[in-house]
Amino acid sequence: MKQLITLNINNQNYDVIVTPMDLLVDVIRKAIGLTGTKKGCGQGDCGACTVLIDGQPKLSCLTLAITCADKKIITIEGIANEDGTLHPIQDAFLDHGAVQCGFCTPGMILSAKALIDRNPNPSQKEIKTAISGNTCRCTGYINIVSAIESYANLVAEKGAK
Amino acid sequence: MNILSNFQYHAPKTKAEVLDLLADIGDKSKMLAGGTDLVIMLKEKMIQTENVINIADVKELSGIKFTDNGVEIGACTTISEIENSKELVEKYGALVYAASQLGSYQVRTMATIGGNISHSSPCGETPAPLSALNATVVIESKRGERTVKPEDFILGNRQNILEKDEMVTKFIIPEPVAHSAATYGNIGLRNAMEIDAVNMAVNIELEDDKKTIKSAKLIMGSVAPKPIVSEGVPSLLVGKELNDELIEKVGEAAMSEATPISDVRASAEYRKDVVGALARRLTKEAYNKAMEA
Amino acid sequence: MGKMYEVSNRYNNYRDYTKEFTEVGRSIRRPDGADKVKGKVQYTDDLTLPRMVYGKLLRSKHAHANIVKIDYSKAMELEGVLGVITGEDCPIPYGIVPHNANEHALAVGKVRNWGEPVAAVAAVTEEIAEKALELIEVEYDVLEAIVDPREAVKRDDLRIHEDAPNNISYEGIQVYGDPDKALAESDYVLEQDYYSSYVNHGFIEPQSALADFDVATGKLHLYATCQVPHYTHQQLAKVLEMPLSKIRITVPLIGGGFGGKGVASQADFCSALLSRKVGRPVKITYERSDVFATNNGRHPCYMKMKLGFDKTGKITACDFTNLMDGGAYAGWGIVVLFYTASMVHIPYMIPNVRFDGKRVYTNKPTCGAFRGLGGVQPRFAMEQMLDQAAAHFGMDPYEIRMLNAAESGYTAMSKMYVPHTEYKKCLTECVEKSGYKEKHGKLPFGKGIGLSGGYYISGTSYTLYLSYKPHTVATIKVDEENDVTVYCGATDIGQGVDMVMAQMAAETLGVHTEDVTVIPRDTKISTFDLGTFASRLTFATGWAIRQAAEKINAELKPVAAGMLGIRGDEVEVQGGEFYNIYKPNKRVPWRDVVSSYIQTNGPLTKTGQFTPPRRKGIQQGGNIGHSPSFGFSAQIAEVDIDLETGKVNVVKITEAGDCGVAINPQSVEGQVHGSIGMGLGQALYEEMKIAPDGTFCNPSFHDYKVPTALDMPEIDANIVDAYDPSAPYGAKESGEGPIQPTIPAIFNAVYDAIGVRFTEMPLTPEKVLNAIKEQKAKGVF
Repeated sequence: MKQLITLNINNQNYDVIVTPMDLLVDVIRKAIGLTGTKKGCGQGDCGACTVLIDGQPKLSCLTLAITCADKKIITIEGIANEDGTLHPIQDAFLDHGAVQCGFCTPGMILSAKALIDRNPNPSQKEIKTAISGNTCRCTGYINIVSAIESYANLVAEKGAK
Repeated sequence: MNILSNFQYHAPKTKAEVLDLLADIGDKSKMLAGGTDLVIMLKEKMIQTENVINIADVKELSGIKFTDNGVEIGACTTISEIENSKELVEKYGALVYAASQLGSYQVRTMATIGGNISHSSPCGETPAPLSALNATVVIESKRGERTVKPEDFILGNRQNILEKDEMVTKFIIPEPVAHSAATYGNIGLRNAMEIDAVNMAVNIELEDDKKTIKSAKLIMGSVAPKPIVSEGVPSLLVGKELNDELIEKVGEAAMSEATPISDVRASAEYRKDVVGALARRLTKEAYNKAMEA
Repeated sequence: MGKMYEVSNRYNNYRDYTKEFTEVGRSIRRPDGADKVKGKVQYTDDLTLPRMVYGKLLRSKHAHANIVKIDYSKAMELEGVLGVITGEDCPIPYGIVPHNANEHALAVGKVRNWGEPVAAVAAVTEEIAEKALELIEVEYDVLEAIVDPREAVKRDDLRIHEDAPNNISYEGIQVYGDPDKALAESDYVLEQDYYSSYVNHGFIEPQSALADFDVATGKLHLYATCQVPHYTHQQLAKVLEMPLSKIRITVPLIGGGFGGKGVASQADFCSALLSRKVGRPVKITYERSDVFATNNGRHPCYMKMKLGFDKTGKITACDFTNLMDGGAYAGWGIVVLFYTASMVHIPYMIPNVRFDGKRVYTNKPTCGAFRGLGGVQPRFAMEQMLDQAAAHFGMDPYEIRMLNAAESGYTAMSKMYVPHTEYKKCLTECVEKSGYKEKHGKLPFGKGIGLSGGYYISGTSYTLYLSYKPHTVATIKVDEENDVTVYCGATDIGQGVDMVMAQMAAETLGVHTEDVTVIPRDTKISTFDLGTFASRLTFATGWAIRQAAEKINAELKPVAAGMLGIRGDEVEVQGGEFYNIYKPNKRVPWRDVVSSYIQTNGPLTKTGQFTPPRRKGIQQGGNIGHSPSFGFSAQIAEVDIDLETGKVNVVKITEAGDCGVAINPQSVEGQVHGSIGMGLGQALYEEMKIAPDGTFCNPSFHDYKVPTALDMPEIDANIVDAYDPSAPYGAKESGEGPIQPTIPAIFNAVYDAIGVRFTEMPLTPEKVLNAIKEQKAKGVF
């Protein structure tokens, strides 16, 4: 049975028609056209589909879109500044060579940002734990961890968010 | 895979509404909380259902509430809320640690403690520590409320004692008694995102001398269709002080009680070996902590 | 060295003498990076076209079965279903190696592995397409499945392919020198069996193909996740019976390849066939289970290696027998078979070598090309045997490697020529940095340290079909509107070759990398390139780009000289300015020179090309594995084993690599980190598990476990000082060499920790614990 719901994505309301079976990842990618959210495994194992729902990193491939009607969703397209310039965490990823093929990058950045938002001063182990559900096959994670560390340091120094 | 099963979606806002729905259509419904198990099963067409009742947003079903006698954890409390709870760590560290070992962080922000036990997978992470902490599972339906121990809740692989109109609403965990401590451990191939080959929780309570064991409990997961509560280990330990010889015997006793299977993740023999290793480690760790507690 | 270097003026290039590069050697930000971190880039599955519909493949649940009947009439009745195709629609076989092509877009008459597609459907939504699959009725006559190649060679009665007696897909023997005599005369001979496991690339982006067949013009435009658009182009032309010129392949960004996208996928063919049938664009995107069913991963090898040594520890001979599990179809099989033959000839000098190999069909998803293909398996054997030999001779494992290591200018028995190597430097640097000598053999039981070396080709010397055309072509256009545009069909699969090409062009043209636009990955727009495999891009595109850029300079320098009022040979260009080499303060902006040139002479476009040298006098299959140059790597792994559970914790890996000059050091480091991650996964737990009846037991990331961030060791990656004079800008590969040492380094470290040699991957906690128990029983600890 089709229903009209409103999804708040990146601070913008989208009216979409969904069935209860529709997954959030498909609604975001197909109905709304924000293709930055990726599908890597469809079973919650790779984290490529990670989005922030009410600030928490969640797997959009295991989330029914209909359950998100009154929640605030942030996708990778909502991370950069309004004027299109990069958010400091995005700069950190580029400066540290944390991006190769880029397919895990959106989910990785969202997991990392959620970590720093809840714990601005994480240990290396806490960083690795926070992204252990985001599989990257290119980088061996090393430069990703350094990028997140450097962003955390920036937040600590300048209060950047 | 997309979800093909054409179900009706229900989003009750209160516990009473949930219980009403369960009374009406409980036999034709699946409960959705975090969705990390249910949605996969729907996608993989392992199950079909006519109704999905989303209870994730029922506020009275979630939250960590401290009481005079301990703590109450709502069924819809997410695993990450437990993992991140600074209040829980001190007295219920075994549960907090178990929560931190479940899936990935994203899975933990979605999955709930009620869902973890209700899914009743043999490798569920939280039933063992809940059991070690002497928790009570509160089950409600329109007919009323009943309580059960976690180890009596799960009957087998994806089987539990819930009637079709019932749901788990909360867990009551008592204040740990003096000179007691609980520990949790798990072993899988990787350091994260594991479906455990074995998981285990131990609780040791000492006499006032802080040496002699007054009571002991050891529960293991993933080694049988349901969590196994060791009978041999308490009988070995009670009334004694822990020493290396006894630790070895604890390992052997736990191994003799485990009835694991061989599967794609590990062989039965290896699981038994790991049961021994975890039993030795966790017993020792719990004993040492209890001496400090 | 032949034709390829003639136009390249490298010996006159000041910057090569001094190695004072300005654009090469910089860790610049990736030009595609900003769009990647913003989620703005589009991969194939992100694309939509007007009237686009969705395709899905129906896959066999049987590993070996004759197809009796396929009835899709009920599927066609479902509203929204536009068309169904089966093997009848694609009878022409294809294969990356044309002379033993035996794959079909959809099974014809018989399925040979679990997950082989038997039908494909196009429908207006994915959901309807999926539902339609359930309505297709396939009647199978199920056959016994063979999943073990050791069994397969004995079963001529059960041929997986009728034309392959004893299920042998290909076999080859190479004999160099007299290995029997040399072994008989050796002071010490080691012989051991090894098994390397069945692993998958695990790239995160599943394959996807979007085909747009225009019925009005008869033209096909395919957007696909393809590392080798040229080879896919050829195969599409064959299967669809179309001229090459009517097919265009565009490769959007690729979300990881590692060789797995180095063959055309069934989605490529089926989307095209469906699009032609239904007259609408069709997109097929794989699920993770489709990726596993498609595989193309590493060949499991049952290897026997015999190594002889003289009394000083020098290797006298290598006798190597290899039974390779190829899975159901030919794929890259021949190439991988002979790569394993080649890969024993370097990095050590071995005067007598025999290879006796068979690649065998089994009822499993086909094996193919996977990062470091053909090298990882024999390296696993040889590097452990070197440690064993070192122990026999009372030498340090480092010393025995140094004693046998090849040096620059070495020609192996197989005629493989090593123009340049700093392998010894790699060994020394990582031994020093890790404190190997102080730790090896001296750590407490359960902790260990292991050394291994490795190398890989830096470009292939031959095409997969007989052809003498250039392997790559680069065209550079210089104009007032766009500064520099480089056209080259090389495929960036995440490694960053688009950036590397821009850096190389900028270096020779004397402009900034940011002023260069690269137009890659489109068979209609970009120039010809063979594809991304054999770690060939930096070397091959580097020469082609350099040649084109030097031709551009040859045009611009006289103009600049005129503007500066000096002779043409007194002009250099760097940093966006031409200048007088004797009076460097006399300068003219590069853009002004370009304007002047174009206003006088018209457009300025030049083309460069690269074809690697060929060698004579080589044996059957022996050309495979030849390369214009080679990259080298040495690694040291430190492990800490949980003695009660057998879990191997890799604590640290120290790496030192010779990739020549690193065009982009940060990217080289990234390749090293990624290689180590993959090697670690294969060493410890990655494995596709196939039941005796051929059923795939773990076709998901749930149970096919790749390392997480918490599983990675500390990595100390070092780029040794190196410059390969035969290479463009002195640069060679870094994408596949660094995975070669990882697995044996970990296995050698485990030996150092518990005194047990493992000869089979993966090193599961169970195997390790059982070994520890045996050591305990023997009283070792």
